[in-house]
Amino acid sequence: MDKIVVENLKYKYPLTDKLVLNDISFKIEKGQFIGIIGQNGAGKSTLCQAITGLVPLFFKGAYGGRVLVDGIEVAKSNISDISLKVGMVFQNPFTQVTGSKLTVYEEVAFGLENIGLNREEMKNRIDEALNLLGIYRFKDRNPFDLSGGQMQRLAIAGIIAMQPDVIILDEPTSQLDPQGSEEVFKAVWDLKKRGITIIMVEHKMEKIAEYSDKVLLMHDGKVIDFDTPEKIFSRDDLMQYGVIEPAYTRICKAFDIKDSGLYPVTLDRACEMVVKYNEHN
Amino acid sequence: MKSLSLYQERDSIIHEIEPINKLLYILTTILIMIIVPSIKCAVLCMIISLMLLLKANVIKKVLPIINFSFIILISIIIIQGLFNINNKTVLFNIGKIKFYKEGMMYSALIVIRVINILCAFALLVLTTKPSDLIEDLVRRGLSPKIGYVLSSVLQIIPQMTSTMGTIMDAQRSRGLETEGKLINRIKAFFPLIGPVVMNSLIATRERAMALEIRAFSSKNKKTFLNETKSTKLDSSLKYIFIAAVILSIIWRAAIWTK
Amino acid sequence: MSIIEINNLHFSYTKDEEILKGINLIFDEKSTAIIGQNGAGKTTFVKLLKGLLKPTWGDVIIDGKNTKEYTVANLAPTIGLVFQNPNDQIFKNNVLSEVMFGPLNIGMDESKAKDSALKALKMVGLEEKINDNPYDLTLSERKLISIASIVAMNTKIIILDEPTIAQDYISKEKIKDIILKLKSQGKLVITITHDMDFVAETFERTLVFCEGRVLLDGKTDYVFMQDEELKKAHLEPPYAAQLCRKLNSDKIYITVEEFIKANKR
Repeated sequence: MDKIVVENLKYKYPLTDKLVLNDISFKIEKGQFIGIIGQNGAGKSTLCQAITGLVPLFFKGAYGGRVLVDGIEVAKSNISDISLKVGMVFQNPFTQVTGSKLTVYEEVAFGLENIGLNREEMKNRIDEALNLLGIYRFKDRNPFDLSGGQMQRLAIAGIIAMQPDVIILDEPTSQLDPQGSEEVFKAVWDLKKRGITIIMVEHKMEKIAEYSDKVLLMHDGKVIDFDTPEKIFSRDDLMQYGVIEPAYTRICKAFDIKDSGLYPVTLDRACEMVVKYNEHN
Repeated sequence: MKSLSLYQERDSIIHEIEPINKLLYILTTILIMIIVPSIKCAVLCMIISLMLLLKANVIKKVLPIINFSFIILISIIIIQGLFNINNKTVLFNIGKIKFYKEGMMYSALIVIRVINILCAFALLVLTTKPSDLIEDLVRRGLSPKIGYVLSSVLQIIPQMTSTMGTIMDAQRSRGLETEGKLINRIKAFFPLIGPVVMNSLIATRERAMALEIRAFSSKNKKTFLNETKSTKLDSSLKYIFIAAVILSIIWRAAIWTK
Repeated sequence: MSIIEINNLHFSYTKDEEILKGINLIFDEKSTAIIGQNGAGKTTFVKLLKGLLKPTWGDVIIDGKNTKEYTVANLAPTIGLVFQNPNDQIFKNNVLSEVMFGPLNIGMDESKAKDSALKALKMVGLEEKINDNPYDLTLSERKLISIASIVAMNTKIIILDEPTIAQDYISKEKIKDIILKLKSQGKLVITITHDMDFVAETFERTLVFCEGRVLLDGKTDYVFMQDEELKKAHLEPPYAAQLCRKLNSDKIYITVEEFIKANKR
């Protein structure tokens, strides 16, 4: 069964005229890594919020169509119930720290206390989440004393502990330094390997190409294309949507290095194909 | 980590007591002083508070708190000593200025009461983590939302002051004078407060979303990571407080009926 | 004469931890990128250039002025700093007066300030939005406002702290253009950034900061060929250079454009 189904989704923020989401439909299978790309203002964040139910349950406004998670319609559910199925990580690690907890360990407990978990289960889940994100050694630190990358991994741990099977990340590394973003990407990759469905909005196309099973290209509130990274980045009209191919793809496009009509999108594949190309010429 | 808290980490039996009992202690000591308005009773209460602070090994930290109200206390003594309506007996004089016994006695009572209340509060704030106090109250039925607001304020305000520093730097970088003459400071108000307000609005909205995603509005009954450490002492303390209040009422009634 | 001279600069916020541990540098008109991990001391360093912080030891000389002897306001006409988050500075209810705020503060009269602000807004491509409320615009546009508000002050030196954070491809290209224009006007542009491809495409000179010291300093293509040192600073070379390395090619190109140009016959 499809994990997430979006059907003819339309949405407009209160007091505005423009449709931020304009007739969007797509389906996501369980366990996939989906990258969402498009220029700022394309509607990427709003789409993420619609899958978690923040739109329209937190942000009101005009809403049409439906979003189904495991067959349950989110607009008719409530955010707390959806949060057990779909977790979301935002751009700024700092505003995701609750501010009411004094240690990293207690911070992860926040959501678990809210859903009324018993203490044994809570502790098991916190230990597991902190270990998975590689921040167990900071468990007694104040959350605000962590670095950006560590704080963002703490935010993910807080979500993971709720054991959702879908995690949405909205530009999770844009505020981080290269090492911090690498830490986050690695952590997310581990989650994907455990069978968690990942949806990630990201401007770093090389990363999207490396990790995604499928890429959703958005522009002006619409879905332009939803396909494999190779197919998406082999399009010749990306510039029109304010998107650029990964560096490796751009190089191969310049020399028309392709395989059955598709250009390579990752470093390894590009290298392989360039070598082959050089041998032939 | 900066946090708005006077909590002192010590290993004492006072630290172990439930926060609610420390709140009740403040209430009890105030009630007793109202019911029994004698200076002897106030002194007794103060001695008890000071002994508890000593036991908690935080007595040194109380002085700054008392110092804080020192000027007010001194002025009470002077005003009452000079002008109390019941003043008759001259106690001593400095030059031509006469201090009266009645006023001095009255002000002594006020001062001791104030110090006692301060000590009782100090016992709470110096030996209890604010988060523990709030969690204790939430367990006893305080709305988790109010609890969240109270405990997050303690951490988020220090964070806001650091944002404030960045904003100050950003505006100084554009040639804004924030120091020196009063007129400069007044002129600097809007360039500084504008971004502070906008920033906190944005941060609040983002944080609200992040909290919702973590089931903040869940209808389930909330549970707690930390166990309560309610001891026998804790439960007996409540009876002791009630007994103390009842005893003081009986004493007061006895005086009346005489 | 060099525009900025830094002699044996040390700085610490607290006694036990030194943030900058002896920096000697000279800046001429070459556009310069500063890269390095968070905590390497980059932001502290530019705050010292700007005079927001004063050295605990050593000197920072900006256009002949030792920062120790001048206030931030005194230095403002010479050196401008665009902060990371535009929301930290914007407070006026229209774009034009926001951009005029700096010029007026450093003593330009009303008409000159307006003139300068309009020019700066044209440069960043916001000339049609001068009467809009900044908070009705997107974050990318607000970033451009914050850049314009420093450009309008017409300083000899402009520093940008993380200008490309959370920006999409188009906005990044815009910011790259602005930097190149400023450079062509003879200004010294210094930028802190984490985006290695942006550095490779935009800057002539690159400094690598690591643990409070300058680990590498030189022309950008030279710096990105020093794999060992970059690794030490937890940095990766730009994508084009990574491909060159992987292909074992003799020549390393640091941008996609250079790679393509050199290999196309």
